[in-house]
Amino acid sequence: MKLASIDYTIIAVYFLFVVTIGYVLKKKIKTGNDFLMSNRNIPLWITSLAFISANLGAQEVLGMAANGAKYGFYTVHFYWMGAALAMIFLGVFMMPFYYGSKARSVPEYLAMRFDEKTRGFNAMTFAVMTVFSSGISLYALAMLLNIILGWDFNVSVLLAAGIVLIYTFLGGLTSAVYNEVLQFFLIVLGIAPLVYLGMEKAGGWQGIIHNVDDAKLHVWKGMAHAATNPMGVDAFSLVFGLGFVLAFGYWCTDFLVVQRAMISKNLNAAQRTPIIASVPKIFMPLIVILPGIILLALQKQFPGFALPVNANGQTDYNMAMPVLLSKLYPNGILGVGITALIASFMSGMAGNVTAFNTVFTFDIYQSYIRKHASEKHYLYVGKTTTIIGILISIATAYIARSFNSIMDLLQLVFSFVNAPLFATFFLGMFWKRTTSNGAFYGLLSGTAAAALAHGLTTAEGKGGWITNLHTFYSGTSQAFNIAGIAFIVCFIVTVMVSRFTEPKPESSLVGLVYSLTPKQKDKSRIWYKNPLILGIGVLIITIVLNIIFY
Amino acid sequence: MKKLSDLRFVIGIFFTIIGLLLIAWCVAGPGGRAMDSEINWRAGFGFFVFGGLMVFLSFRNSISEK
Repeated sequence: MKLASIDYTIIAVYFLFVVTIGYVLKKKIKTGNDFLMSNRNIPLWITSLAFISANLGAQEVLGMAANGAKYGFYTVHFYWMGAALAMIFLGVFMMPFYYGSKARSVPEYLAMRFDEKTRGFNAMTFAVMTVFSSGISLYALAMLLNIILGWDFNVSVLLAAGIVLIYTFLGGLTSAVYNEVLQFFLIVLGIAPLVYLGMEKAGGWQGIIHNVDDAKLHVWKGMAHAATNPMGVDAFSLVFGLGFVLAFGYWCTDFLVVQRAMISKNLNAAQRTPIIASVPKIFMPLIVILPGIILLALQKQFPGFALPVNANGQTDYNMAMPVLLSKLYPNGILGVGITALIASFMSGMAGNVTAFNTVFTFDIYQSYIRKHASEKHYLYVGKTTTIIGILISIATAYIARSFNSIMDLLQLVFSFVNAPLFATFFLGMFWKRTTSNGAFYGLLSGTAAAALAHGLTTAEGKGGWITNLHTFYSGTSQAFNIAGIAFIVCFIVTVMVSRFTEPKPESSLVGLVYSLTPKQKDKSRIWYKNPLILGIGVLIITIVLNIIFY
Repeated sequence: MKKLSDLRFVIGIFFTIIGLLLIAWCVAGPGGRAMDSEINWRAGFGFFVFGGLMVFLSFRNSISEK
């Protein structure tokens, strides 16, 4: 792939804009709260787009196109089964507790609902996870630029990290959120022409149907058994493991995305943020999954669309999007497409860094190191943490480059931590008898159970580091089942320990637990401002899409 | 300068510039390749219209706020 002057100009204009946004917003940052929480003053349309954009990182743009080529339409379950339902649940049921409790972060809610040790565990694991995720994003970006454009790895790492540092350091969370919205439009508008060109070349929808294996053109067909669909997952693992545990665990408890709703102007806007975000989310497969399927159709009809193989000799599905870009985009729009990819990596990195500095400042530094300092002091800590976060990310990028297996290991550990967390929140918010010790030991047990399940099972050559008791049809199936096991163990241990330990007095749980919180009485509210009605609307659209693409 | 903190304005200006760059590349770029230029034309025009719309919304919002 060879870039021309127009492509470099477009990339340069994008870099100029993201840095300018940070510089302009710098003047609005006066306190730690401004820097880390945007002073809870961001309009609804921005929080909604930032909510999905924080998730629209490299894993989404490259990974979902790869899954589209590997699993076909079944990949849409990550959106229609996973994301949509979880986002509605977050908006309707969970956001009143997050926002209403005035917590500044997810770990702070845990401190209010349970105790400091549960907060500490969540804050520490989350801080480590985010900063390493940021580093992995950086590594992946540099590798991609190195492979498809021949750019030097070191230059790519330092350039991307430097730009993210400048705009997050200057403008804090507001700058990251503003850039995420710009990145959202850039990714959607930069990749949409690729879908158009690809569809045209493949012969339209009929061309897709005639040239792609029918097994990859359905959403539910063959889900009765893991052996009868390309994803290698049975319906129960999909619905419970992905649709309930993993999706709800990520969208409802991961501070990286929840933070975007928590900075809304008021509770109603905070509730509507994930629900409004779910509308573009359910149509996002058109941009991120369809290119992978288009590639399959083009491979059947034209030479030159084959995917390269990786170091292990396996097809490198992650190259689906770059292959399409290089084959279908001429110079000019190619610059926009490459900029969209760069934007997706930077969006993921900045999201992680801003979540990291908030959690570190509020949940680690303010809680355990210096409790009653001035706002200016916390602003200084937040800014310093931003620099440290970026430096750790750069170090992680280099470690991941030297030891490729570290990436797999880190991502595995993340899933161990995330999966049981939803059980803790679910019980904490909806069962007032849940105790602090129950939550803490439940979380630990769930995480340990996930690690144990991975050690006792294998899929695609991974796992089974203790012994192999079961082999899954695919890595995806293994991940869904491990998540399910972690959730169940966390749930059971939390309930059992809570039965034998002292709960918090009910008076201290008002606003934190569903049954003890006064219900909102605003039935006269116009329909588009009512989170429940909006949620039902999105749910109906999702069901219809599932039926159409059965 | 105040307008620069309005995200609609910033997004609008960004896509207007990108749109104009793509159109300019079609007009003055090397080769004048018809097939290659077509998508640049269409995308450039689309980005330009989208950018203009965002700038318009930004100014309309400022007027209604006043």
